[in-house]
Amino acid sequence: MSATEGFKRHGDHSYVATFAESEKEVLLNLCEQIIELLAERTDIGNEDPLAAMVGITTHDSPPEDEVLHRLLPNAYADAVDASEFRRYTESNLRQKKQAHAISMRIHLKSAEDGIVDLDHDNANAWLGAINDIRLALGVRLKVENNSQEDLELLAPDDPLRGVYAVYTWLGWLQETLLQALIDDSDEDEESELGNS
Amino acid sequence: MVKTADKIEEEIRAIFSGDTPWVTIVWDDPVNLQTYVVYVFMELFGYSKARATELMLKVHNEGKAVVSTGSREEMEHDVARLHEYGLWATLQRGDQL
Repeated sequence: MSATEGFKRHGDHSYVATFAESEKEVLLNLCEQIIELLAERTDIGNEDPLAAMVGITTHDSPPEDEVLHRLLPNAYADAVDASEFRRYTESNLRQKKQAHAISMRIHLKSAEDGIVDLDHDNANAWLGAINDIRLALGVRLKVENNSQEDLELLAPDDPLRGVYAVYTWLGWLQETLLQALIDDSDEDEESELGNS
Repeated sequence: MVKTADKIEEEIRAIFSGDTPWVTIVWDDPVNLQTYVVYVFMELFGYSKARATELMLKVHNEGKAVVSTGSREEMEHDVARLHEYGLWATLQRGDQL
């Protein structure tokens, strides 16, 4: 099977891509990694079942793992406000991110002949999941410090070279889905509902 | 920092008059695609493509931009949704920008 040409819009609000088996495997593997990584940060020792039920976590400091920290960032510059907010919201944020990755995994697993067909909500879940994977890879690639040129000039035997290839491919894939979605919304350009 | 009487009076006035001096700020991030940031602004805030693009460029060129304003509660909601989609966002009082 040939390499994917990315997402294209089919009719109204349907976004379709066909993946080669090897591409599907790579995407599935990355989804699993994000799901596992988020699961590592469980709310161990939350003795109060009511607190657990309403999503209050035992975490009031940011994750030590750099990738998790990027996926679950502070909402306030102020440390006290940030930890208070985290205590009440981090669990929910983790669940939403896991849900995006799980949704992507389900579509990939059930893709017949590698064909993935997404509606608008599914497409948003995919965008979020792909973005989380790119954020995670970006931390490993240290994109904050390494320029695009640095990364393109990685030695062939550098293990990061493969990571960078996947990172840029995911960026391209995400862009094809975005273009398909934005073409859609051009049609209702006038319906601005801005709240500012 | 010692607050002046004027400053305190202004804050009290803001609290009682129901003013909503909170803002959501999105910070530049080298990973997120420009198109993605535009799309997220359109989806979450209902901004037009033109307005979303303008905000994305402000984030890109100036390192950050205020993307929404409202009550503290509303801004916490906006930040949580932006985090869900992987944008790097924080909230703060609008008068402390």
